[in-house]
Amino acid sequence: MKFLTDLTSRIPTHMDFEGQRRAERTFQFVLAIFGLAGLAWGYICQQFSQTVLILAAGFALSALLTLPPWPMYRRSQLRWQPVRPAAATGEAETGSKQQGRKQNKKDK
Amino acid sequence: MNTFLSRLNSLFAMTMTVLAGLTFCCFLSTVHHTHHSIAKLDTPSVLVRQAPDYMIGHEINDLGHMTLNIDADLNHLFNWNVKQLFVYITAHYKTEKNAFNQVVLWDKIIRRGESARLQYSRVNPKYYFWDDGFGLRGNPNVTLALQYNVIPNSGRLLNIYAEGRHVVSMPENYIKGRA
Repeated sequence: MKFLTDLTSRIPTHMDFEGQRRAERTFQFVLAIFGLAGLAWGYICQQFSQTVLILAAGFALSALLTLPPWPMYRRSQLRWQPVRPAAATGEAETGSKQQGRKQNKKDK
Repeated sequence: MNTFLSRLNSLFAMTMTVLAGLTFCCFLSTVHHTHHSIAKLDTPSVLVRQAPDYMIGHEINDLGHMTLNIDADLNHLFNWNVKQLFVYITAHYKTEKNAFNQVVLWDKIIRRGESARLQYSRVNPKYYFWDDGFGLRGNPNVTLALQYNVIPNSGRLLNIYAEGRHVVSMPENYIKGRA
């Protein structure tokens, strides 16, 4: 079991923040559309099973579009500050990285 | 939303919420239905005998036997929010011992997709018509009614009487032995 989790944790699945926002909007939109279409089609042919199946198809499409980390969700990466030469030890480097992250949030 | 599992979690939660909403809409679309239907019941032969009721300690009780004619069309009761109908015929009557008696004589489960046109002629009842005591002999007013439970996909579980009851007057004399 640990072998499997080690293997899967090596596959990168991250998206940047803008990508996450777009992914969430995408599946919300797809599920809403398929939900309404399923309701309409189920009412027309008077079978609720059709409604559930159409929603399941919407779930499959959303999963395909938003679960894997497609490149389009990685377009607007965070802009890190350039690495500054360490003043004294490694501690100063991590200190400057934290400062860089805080600055980026303020820019947004 | 940074990992595969957290996206999967959000997506699945939203899918379940949408499904709950759709199910509620399905309920709303059928909440105004009245489930009215008409049934014709008849009893071509009616008999009464006394017998020991083997199920409750061998007491002697009245045992009625009436064959049934059933004619009803329940197809219009089905819609996308109906899973099945549970149809049953009951006999109601009053005796000296009990003010109200109700006995189920026959029932049937009709699933969505099966034919709901009931046409039975001279059919035997499914269940024994025991009385609690001796109130069946000569009872002038035993009413047969067709009832049905409409079992929905989502919504209230309803018990509806069909229109059209049949009144039977039980015979004065017991029969002995096998009829």
